[in-house]
Amino acid sequence: MPEIKVTPLGAGQDVGRSCILVSIGGKNIMLDCGMHMGYNDDRRFPDFSYITQNGRLTEFLDCVIISHFHLDHCGALPFMSEMVGYDGPIYMTHPTKAICPILLEDFRKITVDKKGETNFFTSQMIKDCMKKVVPLNLHQTVQVDDELEIKAYYAGHVLGAAMVQIKVGSESVVYTGDYNMTPDRHLGAAWIDKCRPDILISESTYATTIRDSKRCRERDFLKKVHESIERGGKVLIPVFALGRAQELCILLETFWERMNLKAPIYFSTGLTEKANHYYKLFITWTNQKIRKTFVQRNMFEFKHIKAFDRSYADNPGPMVVFATPGMLHAGQSLQIFKKWAGNEKNMVIMPGYCVQGTIGHKILNGQRKLEMEGRSTLDVKLQVEYMSFSAHADAKGIMQLIRMAEPRNMLLVHGEAVKMEFLKGKIEQEFSIDCHMPANGETATVTTNPSVPVDISLNLLKREMALGGPLPDPKKPRTMHGTLIMKENSLKLVSSEQALKELGLNEHQLRFTCRVQLQDPHSDPDTLNRIYTHLKSVLKGYTIQHLPDGTVMVESIVIKVSSSAEDTSTKVLLLSWSYQDDVFFCFFFVSFLSLIFSKQWLRDSIDS
Amino acid sequence: MYKDLHVYQLEHPTQVIEWTSGRTVCVAGYSSSKNEILELHLPLKLFADENKGLCAERDFKVVHGGFAEGPVCCLRHVPGTRCVVTNDGLSSDLQVWTVGGDDSDVIRRTGSVKGRRSVSEGGSRIAAPLSSQLLHGARSSDVQLTQLTSGQILYTLETDSADPLSSLQFVSDTVFLAGCCNGNVYIADTRTSAAPQLSPGPAAWGGSVLWWTDASAGRVIRLSSSGQAVVSDLRDLGEAVSWAQLDVQSHRCNPDDVRVSWAPALDNCIAVSGFSGAVQIYKTSVWGTERQDVQPLFEHRGHAVSSQSDDDVFVTAHVWHPERPRTLLSAASDGSVHVWDWVDQSEL
Repeated sequence: MPEIKVTPLGAGQDVGRSCILVSIGGKNIMLDCGMHMGYNDDRRFPDFSYITQNGRLTEFLDCVIISHFHLDHCGALPFMSEMVGYDGPIYMTHPTKAICPILLEDFRKITVDKKGETNFFTSQMIKDCMKKVVPLNLHQTVQVDDELEIKAYYAGHVLGAAMVQIKVGSESVVYTGDYNMTPDRHLGAAWIDKCRPDILISESTYATTIRDSKRCRERDFLKKVHESIERGGKVLIPVFALGRAQELCILLETFWERMNLKAPIYFSTGLTEKANHYYKLFITWTNQKIRKTFVQRNMFEFKHIKAFDRSYADNPGPMVVFATPGMLHAGQSLQIFKKWAGNEKNMVIMPGYCVQGTIGHKILNGQRKLEMEGRSTLDVKLQVEYMSFSAHADAKGIMQLIRMAEPRNMLLVHGEAVKMEFLKGKIEQEFSIDCHMPANGETATVTTNPSVPVDISLNLLKREMALGGPLPDPKKPRTMHGTLIMKENSLKLVSSEQALKELGLNEHQLRFTCRVQLQDPHSDPDTLNRIYTHLKSVLKGYTIQHLPDGTVMVESIVIKVSSSAEDTSTKVLLLSWSYQDDVFFCFFFVSFLSLIFSKQWLRDSIDS
Repeated sequence: MYKDLHVYQLEHPTQVIEWTSGRTVCVAGYSSSKNEILELHLPLKLFADENKGLCAERDFKVVHGGFAEGPVCCLRHVPGTRCVVTNDGLSSDLQVWTVGGDDSDVIRRTGSVKGRRSVSEGGSRIAAPLSSQLLHGARSSDVQLTQLTSGQILYTLETDSADPLSSLQFVSDTVFLAGCCNGNVYIADTRTSAAPQLSPGPAAWGGSVLWWTDASAGRVIRLSSSGQAVVSDLRDLGEAVSWAQLDVQSHRCNPDDVRVSWAPALDNCIAVSGFSGAVQIYKTSVWGTERQDVQPLFEHRGHAVSSQSDDDVFVTAHVWHPERPRTLLSAASDGSVHVWDWVDQSEL
């Protein structure tokens, strides 16, 4: 039976660096190539030795697909392609292709410059890796080769995030990556058609989480900002150029308008240019609301939000500033942080995960004294708030997605030690499909039942209908005979005559003969006549003819009688039948033998 | 208005919220066919008191789950164990479940306890005083104390009438209170075979009504379906210490949903729900002995306000956190579950 094999790779026992291998229809695909942010040693990379113990991966993989730009999905890509070695195509959406290298370079800088690591990928490696990228558009089928095709679907979550369908022949797999089922202020919700993949691959953390509403998260954010502003404090929000920044701006603008607040809100320079640039490129990836706004005006044309100037950081009074980079590891956001950190009225809100080695990571771990360059220390007196705005689906969302795609099997990647029987049972019961949960390094094998489409010639169909009898019924299939021709990429079922004609072959007829010896004193014609008479009385309902050329025919079986040269009472019966009548001949032969060796026949032979 | 507010959407609504530890609760569906029982871990952010700002974790985690064949109308955790007991509201039998164990995430049915009478309407109330005993019954005439492991019946309540129960709870290790829907309250001691003390229901202001009862720290509150609330001392139930007419939409009360409870960590505060899509907090210390209309100290209207369904939303359950004074969990008929920590405006 054909099978699809899925193996989650990855370091450590917890979910964190997505990397999944799929073997389908003889093709090998790597889904995502993420880094585990919690480890400093080799455990942060997926375990590629599963694919091959040594040497490059190129000949073992048909393609690599990256779902989105988060480091736990693409962080190990340059390591895989340039340090382990892979020269094949790497597929990702356009926004992912644009944003990935920036995040990877930032990450590389932090790891090498700040933490002094040596065995890490270089800037050149990132560039070389990106040269292998083939960009994808939404809902567009891409032929990786003659047999393998892939298609990207909108996943929500972050700009450019995609769910991917991988298809070989009539077998397919859909990988969700990270996705979100409810639209937010700048992204739409994930969507997929009823593509009925053999396997839908997703992460189990979705199914075991029930997410707090977006409204509550936003309420908390606004409350914190408002409280700081009210007491005259300054709020710093370090962000990446786009994505969450957009969301939070829209939120603040609406809040400021509603509450009639006067404190200034600023964007740091560079942020607006970068953001506008990306949005112009990827407007189709945002949701309807943003698109409408963008058409009317500039992305960052807000009533209450203005461009920042370095000198404003020293202005007295409350203000809110959005500044890059997002993890406080360099640049303007760090500069502002240094100025504001000493005042407990101020606040810094970190809207996302910070990589180890950054200031962001340190303050989120509660560090209140930081060592800066030149041996100086910075006392962190301002309020530190960690807020997660990332849009993820949850238990309800995953059920919705399964209902949308209608997979034949479900596969959840988890990596946790706890057995997830309940979850497995829930999916199996609700959808009557199998749910597989392989651990890291474990392979799940799913047997598929691919249907092979075959065209049938009209003549053949008509002929079968003309044979009469009941119409074919799904509950009572009827055997039909034809010839299957495989030509180019199609399969056809035609009559044998048509097949011979199409293929330019000559028809050959096969006839078999056998000889039966019999003792009979009568003349040849008399013996033949007796055979004829007896057969007629015994084999009722069959066409039995006595032909003038001295043969008896039972349907298409020919019977001849001749005498042996030495002894005229020894008769040799020659039976001949065609290949088509092989089955009937067996039945006939049994009857024939039992007839001529019966007592009745012997008596008749002696008597006459 | 709120110090903390978390809003969740379950796939199916629940009528029960029961603490299984200081940080986990069990909820369960009540549809007529198969239902899920879930044990949820509350968000870490709620408990990160000093470093609240540094904790971004706001979600429920489903830590254990199981399937029940019918509706779950009552769910009780057996203290000191990993067992919960449920009743489906159709018979007086109880189902016993083990939560997790063997590193598994399954809530497994591991036994049952037979009720005194096989058929009953309204379902059984359950109280679990110790880790090996269960007090249960649907009517005052079939209340019994059963040994969990052996099924042995240790005590039965003998009453003259078979009044349907609206609550059953222990007020000490062995003394319990059985509150009936008609307002009668029985107090008995499981160690003795002496007849229970019967206190008839208070004089109802609104004609024929149903009553719910809760007892805590020597006080008893009785609430009627017309919104009449009466506070009494446990030792003298016949006398009312104070009463009030609560501001509830009494014409819309759903008997299965009404809950009244004393705050475990606040003085003289009760929470009332089941009359609408709101949970109301009242301070009983301001009530007097004359009939008066009172307003809630706080009203959580989140379920009605954020409901996405067209039908009217009803709060189906609420519980107080056992230690955090103003933290409550509430659930509604649209599947929403809220965790909220309210601010007492009168103290500001």
